[in-house]
This record gives sequence, C-alpha cells and structure tokens, in this order.
Amino acid sequence: MAQSKVEHSVRQDREAGGIGSALRSVFRRSDTSVVIATVILFVLFSFSNTSFLTPFNLFNVSRTAALYVFVALGQAIVIVTGGMNLSLGAIGGLTVVVAGWCMDTMGWSPWIGVPLAMLTGTLCGMFNGFIIIKSKLNSFIVTLASLFIFTGLVQGISQGFPYSNIPRDFTILGRNDFLGVPYVFLFAVAVLTALAYVFKFRVVGRRILATGGNLEAARLSGIRTDNIVFLSHTLSGVFAATAGLLWVSRMGSAQPSTGTDWLIISFAVAIIGGTALNGGEFSALGILASAIMLTLIKNGLIMLNVNVYFEQTFLGVIVLLAVSVESIRVALSNRTKRTKTDAS
Amino acid sequence: MLQIRHVTKSFPGVRALDDVSVEFAPGEVHAIVGENGAGKSTLIKIICGVYTPDDGEVLLNGARITLHTYKDALDRKINLVSQEIQIIPKSTVAENIMLDKLDRYLTHGRIDWKRINQDAARYATMVDLAVPVRQIVATLSAAQKQLIMIARALSSDARILVMDEPTSALTRHETENLLALLRRLKAEGVTVLFVSHKLEEVLAVADKVSVLRDGCLIGTRPIAGLTKAQIVQMMIGRDARTLDLGRLKVDAGHVALEARSICQAGRFHDVSFVLQRGEILGFYGLVGSGRTELAQILIGEARKDSGEVLINDKPTHIHSMADSLFKYRMGYVSENRKEKGLILSASIKTNVAITIWNRLRDRLGSIQLAAETTAARKLMHALEIRATGPSQVVGSLSGGNQQKVSIAKWLAAQCDILIIDEPTIGVDIGAKEYIHQLIWNLASREGKSIILISSDMPEIINVARRILVFKDFKIVGEVRNNGEEGAPVRGYEEVSQEIGQYLA
Repeated sequence: MAQSKVEHSVRQDREAGGIGSALRSVFRRSDTSVVIATVILFVLFSFSNTSFLTPFNLFNVSRTAALYVFVALGQAIVIVTGGMNLSLGAIGGLTVVVAGWCMDTMGWSPWIGVPLAMLTGTLCGMFNGFIIIKSKLNSFIVTLASLFIFTGLVQGISQGFPYSNIPRDFTILGRNDFLGVPYVFLFAVAVLTALAYVFKFRVVGRRILATGGNLEAARLSGIRTDNIVFLSHTLSGVFAATAGLLWVSRMGSAQPSTGTDWLIISFAVAIIGGTALNGGEFSALGILASAIMLTLIKNGLIMLNVNVYFEQTFLGVIVLLAVSVESIRVALSNRTKRTKTDAS
Repeated sequence: MLQIRHVTKSFPGVRALDDVSVEFAPGEVHAIVGENGAGKSTLIKIICGVYTPDDGEVLLNGARITLHTYKDALDRKINLVSQEIQIIPKSTVAENIMLDKLDRYLTHGRIDWKRINQDAARYATMVDLAVPVRQIVATLSAAQKQLIMIARALSSDARILVMDEPTSALTRHETENLLALLRRLKAEGVTVLFVSHKLEEVLAVADKVSVLRDGCLIGTRPIAGLTKAQIVQMMIGRDARTLDLGRLKVDAGHVALEARSICQAGRFHDVSFVLQRGEILGFYGLVGSGRTELAQILIGEARKDSGEVLINDKPTHIHSMADSLFKYRMGYVSENRKEKGLILSASIKTNVAITIWNRLRDRLGSIQLAAETTAARKLMHALEIRATGPSQVVGSLSGGNQQKVSIAKWLAAQCDILIIDEPTIGVDIGAKEYIHQLIWNLASREGKSIILISSDMPEIINVARRILVFKDFKIVGEVRNNGEEGAPVRGYEEVSQEIGQYLA
C-alpha cells in the first residue's frame, strides 16, 4: 500500500507538469513568501491610504528600511554560520557614542570620528569572535556577556546624555537623496548585491555557508572554521557600526539609546528574510524585502494610530508568525523531496 | 503472543523494513540478528511504539494494537532496554530503577522512599547489581548502568522485554549472569526479544532466531541444530570470503606516509607505522581501540605530544584538516558521515566541490558555477551516485549514495593519501560491495595510498592487503595478507585466525 501511495503522488507530480514543478521550486526558496507578502502589503497600503504613495512617505520608508538592512545584516552574518550576536545593539550604541564623543566633545572632524567609530565596532566584533573561538563557548553566552560589557561602556562614557553637536556635513549621507531615493537606501542595495555575489561566487562566502550548514563537516573538509566564525563576528561588528553611524547621520545627533531595540529588529528582519536559524542559508533579496515589510508594518501601525508603546509586542508576534510559516514551508518542501527520492 | 504482520517502514531514500512478518511466543527468547542497517532497530522501534509502520499490523494476543508512543507500549507491558544508556546520573540507583513508577509510592501525597528503596533493592538483586540502592549513579560503570536499565524494565512487570544489545557494555561474568536471568524470565513466561551482534550469546540463550537483511526477513529458525556459520550465511547472504579482489601491486620502494614514535598522553605511546605508496593498509580493531584516534592525529584534528609524521619522506606540520588537505593532499572520509562528513542541508554539488572551490575560480576570483556542476556531475557518474541531479540535497539520499558523496569530495580534491574510516556503516549490501571495489580501484589503478579503518573483519580482509591490529591504543600485530609474488592471496580463514590471535 505504501508503494501505491508513493506511485500515486508521483503520478500527481507528473500530471501537474512543468508549471507545477516550477511553482514548487519557487515555493521551496526561503525568500519567496516574504517577497510576496511585502508586495501585497505595499499594494494594500497604496490603496487604503492616500498619504502612503507620497514622495515624502516613500522616502522615509525606504530610508528606515535601509537602516534595518544594516542592523539585520549584523545579525544575519552570524546566524548564517549557526551563531547569534546578542550584543549587536550594544555595539551599535557604543559606535554612536564614540562618534558623538569624537565629533561633539572633542570637536574633531568626521574624517577622524567616523574611522574611530568604525574601528570601535569592528574591535567589538573581533572581541566576540576571539572569545568564542578561543573559549569554545557558544555565541549565545559570550555575546550575552559582551552585551553587558558594551552597554556599560555606552552608559559610562555618555552618562546617558546625547551628543547633539554633529557636523552638518556628516548628515548628508543620512538625509539627502539621489533622484528621490535616499543615499542610505542605495548604499544598502549596493551592500546587499555585493553580499549576494560573495555568497554565490566567492570562496569565502561559500565557506561561511558551509560552516553554518555543518561546522564539523566543514572543518573536516579543510575549512578553517575558527577563522570563518571570527570573520563573521568581525563583520557583524562592522555592520553594527555602519548602522550606528547611519543612525547618527540621519538623526543629526548621537543618541546613546541607539541600538536598544535592535535585538528584535535584527532577528525579525533576518529570519523573515529567509536566513535559516540553524545556519547555512542567506538571501539578500529576502532581507531587503523583510526590512521593507517591517518598516511598512511600523508605518502602518502609526497610520492606524496604534499606541507606539505596544510596537514591540507586534514585532514579537510577527517574528513568531514568520518562524511558524518557515517551519511549515520546510516541512512541506521536505515532503515533496521525500516523495521524489522514494520514486527514484 | 506478539505478532508482526506484513510490516513495512520507509525513510527518505531507504526502505528500512519490507513486508516483515514474525511471531514472538510467551516464554521464548527470540534473537533478532542482522548486519548494520538490516532493519533491527526499526523493527524494535515499531514494537515499542517509537515508529508507526507505513503498512502492516501489530497484534498482541490476537488483537490488533496501534502504538503511537513508547508510553503506549509500556501500558501494554512491552518494555525496552535500549542500547544507549538512559539514566539520570545525579539520582540514586533506586530512583533510576523506579523512575517511571514513583507515583505508585505515594502516601498522603508524599513519596515513600523507604518502600521504594526496599523494592528497588529486590530488583537490583535480581540482576546481580551489587551496589547500595542509595548510591548516586554517576560514578558507576557502564555495565552497572546497563544493569540498572534492565532492573527498571523488570520492575514494570514487563511481559514483553525488548533488549537491544544489552551485553555490549558487560564483562563476561556479567553477561553470563544476564543470560541466566533471561532463562529465569523465560520460565516465568516472559517474551524476550534479544538483539545482539554476538552470535555466541544468541546460540547460548535463544530459542529462535530471526535474521534480517536489507529490511527483509530472511527467515526465523529454531536455534537447536543451527550453527554460527549458518546464521552468518543468512545475515550476509553470501559466503563472506567470495569477494576476491586478488593481489595488490604495491610500489614497495616508496613510502607515502610514515609515523614515527607517536605519543599522546594517556593514549598512544611510541606508535610507528609505514604506509607504502599504492597500498591499502587496514587499521583493524574495536571502536575505541585507537584506530580513529590515530587517524585524527595524522590529519591534525588531535594533537600529538611527540613523534613525527613524514609524507614522501619529508617531515610535516599538520595542525588542521586544512593543512592536511592543502599542503599534503591527504584526505579523511569520516566514520560519521551525517554529523562530520556531509552538510546534509546542502546540495551534492556543494558537498563534492567544497574541497576544490579555490581551484574552480576564474581569473577574477569568482567560482565558475558551470565548472562546479561539471565536476560534481563527473564524480556522480564515476561513482554511480543515484540522484535527480547535482542540486539534490544530500540529506535526501540513501545511506550508500551519501557515503559515495562523502568519498567523492576527496576524489575531487585529487588526494594522494586517503584515510577512509568505516566506509560501509549503514550502507546496503550492493553499495557496500561497490565501495569496496571503488577503494580497491583507487589503489590499484590510480596509485593512491589508502588507510582503511574498519571493525568489519570481512571488509578489512577482503580489501586491505596489510592489516595493523589495534588494541588499547597499541598496534598489537601486523598481518600481511597479500601473499608472495606470483602466489595467491592468503585465505580468509587463515588471516582472520591470525588477527584473532593478536586480539586475544
């Protein structure tokens, strides 16, 4: 009977023909659902709210989405190797404070402040990576500890006060646009494109994915997985620093509270964007779509006059939904895979 | 009476049980034997409710039963003593024995420890566990823990007791006690299902034996009048000695790899050996005898305290698999392909090309996708890997095909030296012979130097032409079975006896 069940479903497969299998292979992609959802949401908002399609609103949405892309990349680059970075927001905060301290307190030019801030974020990432590979502890516990270390530094240095005297030149990147498209958004798209290329065509990108897919097997296939883990945490620091600096550039001031909400945003965008939680999978398109989707939802909540204090609750629910949808998708595509091999 | 009727169970890429029917009578010790991957565990798990069959039925005393969880089986007094020791280390012996029925010892909502300890002591005595029941389990030996698990099953008044390799951790004396206990249980009308690799025990205690091979029931026979050779014959379906690959021409003058006085604290002391070019050198011994551990040192996965490894007569510095592969072209096929050999969630392409991405780059440093696919295709063709294409996910392949992929990656890398660890675990017979032939061809036709690690005696004798016998982290013997120039290869019986002598 089992035999006949298999035969039956195989026959169904064949009857469905080319379109069916093409659809199935699209459906099996981890980023398809989020792209579709984002498009639907976009169309929905365009029709339901007249102020949505205004250049001003689109500018804002794309700029916020771009910032989320960098925040999400900071998380995705470690999730992809099978780890996580809980200290992401704190690194961002520390970057912001260092940038503020340089440009405001010390009065230095952005040409000094920005490299120093970037260096700070990078060193924080390297610190995480170094401790993880040397101590053999998992990234959860190490970055949980460094979250407190970095947060303490943020509060200690800034005493909680914002740095508002940021040179006007530095806000160009975060506030200006090219033909109505914010520079930040173009920057995000460029970085995503580069990453998509790296993960598909460069040896280092492939090695990062392999390490995330199965660290032991990757190491036993000649990949220096310690280096890969160190690299991914360093890049996580670089992305956090980038996001932090863009935040300063956009706000025109350096707020020590920057990054406190990044934990949920970074996981939400990365996971909804098709970054497999147990590593080994990355989608640039998915991250872009989910960053836009999340911004649209936040935007929509404001338009619906939802109390902003409940925002995090919504984000949490959305992450739960996304993860559930993901597990259903994986289960379904496993089932089709199974039927295929049985038949062969 | 427990009856299994026409039970079939499939997993992705493999039919684990195929139309199996067998009966287990009360007061009978019924042995289930078969090679790795024959379907023994699947059968047991179906009887214990861990798996539900795809097709067929299970009858208990004539009534059809459907078990969804192990709890369902327990409710019907079917108990499992599994191969893995399942114990709570920080609890006492008594707690571990009575674990699943603490609720029967409640008086006024409190647990009556005195009664528990008394009852536990009784079951401990039954299995000859000479340890105070209040002792914490953590410090006990593996054998003692095994006995606790058996006592736990007994304390539930099991009517059907399923034992999966219960003697693997036991000493000879403990084993004899256990077998005596099984005979007592039998007299009380308990049905005992006894899964074991040790055919001597099967012959000593069982009334009947059922042999599984490749998911099929080969037959159920009364033990009386059956010999070990006959059971083996049923298990492997052919004479163990038939695969005759002949003599291997070894380039005797050239040494591919030489290990000199390898030492590792607490394990190896002054271990040396030589691997000739084009040779298949066998590492034979039990799991944990030092074979895999020595290989780990060779590939840089484990540190040695002193000694040196020479490749092509030059000293080496190997601190990782990356060094081993990229500096010395030495590959390692892991014994644990699912956890250490393959990225199951990735495609065949990725798993094969992972060692050669560097070589597939164009002038600008991008990996050429077409070249990657071609490389994978070629190896899939050469190794007869059955799949829908190079993009198929490796996790959905059968065991044999997965193993071929995990070997293919080292062929792609064009390694000169290959260490192949237990290549045929969980692989069906057809693929097994294919892999043996493949290893043979790599040495005989392509001149690769191969270390074959295996605990499968026929495998090591058929494929390797010089065998190092490992015991307690020492090389206790060297067996040459290539024969003299012009003379035939030495016979299986003769070689296996010589290996046996070294192990004794």
